[in-house]
Amino acid sequence: MSEFDAIVVGGGPAGTSAAMRLAANKLNVLLVEKADPPGSKNVSGGVLWGNSLAGVMPDWEKTAPLERYVKSKGVGFLTKDSSIDINFRSSKFSETKTGYTVLRTKLDQFLNKKAKDAGATVVTGVTVDKLAFEGKKVIGVEQDGDIITSDAVILAEGANPRVAIDSGIRPPLKDQDVAIGVKEVIKLPEKTINERFNLREKEGFAGEYVLGFLEGGVEAGGFLYTNKDSISLGVVVSMKHLRENNQTHSYDIIEQFKEHPSIAPLLDEGKVDEYSAHMVQEGGLESIPKLYGNGYMITGDAAGFSFSNGLVLQGMNYAIASGIAAADTLVEAKSGSGISEQAFSKYEEKLLNSFVLRDMHTFKGIEELTWGSLIHQKMPSILEKVMLGVLMEDGEPKKHMSQIVKEALKESGLKSSKLLLEGYKMYRRM
Amino acid sequence: MTLEIVVLIKVVPDGKEVFVDPVNFTLNRSMATNVLNPADENALEAALRIKDEHDARITVMTMAPPFAEPFLLECLSRGADQAVLLSDRAVAGSDTYPTSLTVAAGIKHLGNVDIVFAGEKTSDSSTGHVGPGVAEFLEAELASYSRSCKYEDGYVIAERELEEGVEVVKIPTPAVVTVVTDSNIPRRATLRKKLDAQQKGIIVWSLQEIGVEADWVGLRNSPTVVKKMLPFPTRERKNKVIGVDNLDDFVKELAEVGVLKTGGN
Repeated sequence: MSEFDAIVVGGGPAGTSAAMRLAANKLNVLLVEKADPPGSKNVSGGVLWGNSLAGVMPDWEKTAPLERYVKSKGVGFLTKDSSIDINFRSSKFSETKTGYTVLRTKLDQFLNKKAKDAGATVVTGVTVDKLAFEGKKVIGVEQDGDIITSDAVILAEGANPRVAIDSGIRPPLKDQDVAIGVKEVIKLPEKTINERFNLREKEGFAGEYVLGFLEGGVEAGGFLYTNKDSISLGVVVSMKHLRENNQTHSYDIIEQFKEHPSIAPLLDEGKVDEYSAHMVQEGGLESIPKLYGNGYMITGDAAGFSFSNGLVLQGMNYAIASGIAAADTLVEAKSGSGISEQAFSKYEEKLLNSFVLRDMHTFKGIEELTWGSLIHQKMPSILEKVMLGVLMEDGEPKKHMSQIVKEALKESGLKSSKLLLEGYKMYRRM
Repeated sequence: MTLEIVVLIKVVPDGKEVFVDPVNFTLNRSMATNVLNPADENALEAALRIKDEHDARITVMTMAPPFAEPFLLECLSRGADQAVLLSDRAVAGSDTYPTSLTVAAGIKHLGNVDIVFAGEKTSDSSTGHVGPGVAEFLEAELASYSRSCKYEDGYVIAERELEEGVEVVKIPTPAVVTVVTDSNIPRRATLRKKLDAQQKGIIVWSLQEIGVEADWVGLRNSPTVVKKMLPFPTRERKNKVIGVDNLDDFVKELAEVGVLKTGGN
């Protein structure tokens, strides 16, 4: 007889959602989170997109600690001197909220408390070492030599899935599937943020940037999200590029982003309140490991469930939905045929029928594009040259637009046939 | 026979987050999160090391409002066997005298205790009174500023860290040992012990239960009176880098910035 029906490893959105769902179904569940307080080791941007939390907390929009709802979504290409931005804002976003900026230390503490209130045993400040096996069957978790037994384990340990790797149920992460995220939270008065970003109370801005000005052709993306009275900003740098350019440091890149002429004024007078760095999963469909086995399921970032198409970066909604799917699978198995690898295969079925794996399939291979020299170097400089060519009044006769584009392309060394091909690929994959 | 050990702890504001109010020089603790007093972590570890070698039972005790409960649970999670919270509105504002008295009464209420561990001092007031005060009220032997200690047949052998060197003392139990900050590396809580701690829960005693009268304690019955708070004089940094190519010039420069005085013989 196991001590628990389920042990959930990790108290982020995936783990807490799973724990809430299990506890709501009267299962005896232990949730173990390494950070104390929960969320304090997290480096998510972050915007919580979608309505997945409603699955465990119908009133989450009223009760959860949310910063601002996304009213304005930006995408920008930054070169050394210039920025070309697309800013989409819509009153539709005020009617139906599509995303909220969140501070994870606040949100995760709230979610862990909710899990506890629902009846889960919540333990924080301790790191599980690995899964405990009996033959090939998972019988619990191991920590500091002790085994805590459970009928099933749901792994929700985040982007650095040590337990899964050390237990031999998923391969170590590959450089190309991982990026390093570095983030700062910068304190600014609420009113100042509203003025600088053209926002009213509760309205927020979420921006993604291509940093096309980094030395050594290092590919990195930037993000900037407004919280109530702070700004979360950071960079995501491909691990592969960091490794290849070993003179490049992630902390330099965030400084360069902050000092960019179109970003710096937004941060004036701000005080850095937090500084953190963590892995980011960016591997796409190819990097997803086996999601279940005899007695375990892998959810959230630990399973590589994140999504980025250059316009948005998402992870938390996939985490929540997968956590709920894993919990439901376990509840069904316990009341049905019992726990087995076969029973847990329903978990993958559920994900294939939901946006979690559907999105990953729809945007298969997009990571090759979002991490590619076209987007990261060529595009920003081509756009800059075109805009300067059109707008700079230097006393010379004006050139035709097509001529300017042609020259910009030529200077970039990008063949128009290649551009067409890449453009087509992008169109197909997006 | 089981050794009965008590570890005294205090929850304090994190020193890194406490600021001196620039106007009235009082401590501003409003921004600070609570932590276990650093020296108490070492006191608990010192007790656990004795338990590693001997049959012992460790009771961790604090006099505090209920917000201290998670910290008592944390001590249970590291290996303490039971936790006692001495909690009573009447003790609010007590200085180190009534605190020592109350804690000693709590210890007596537990029964026969062999060793009491405490941190050398707390990081928020730094008096270092309570450990020795408890020793007085218990009429127990005291080894203060201990950096390591062991138990042998009714005696505690403690290394005391003093300004002039290390003194090794051998004192009979019951004994109070106050432990120097950073003198050991505290072990971490384990998942198993954390689960056990949640099962055990915390024993809460009021003053009445331990036989302490309300008019022995509290602000009004504390002999300490704070008359005035003064800022520590600070000197502005010169931020000057001086090369040492020529010793005479170097000495002259130091004299100029006021580090050395010239003259005399």
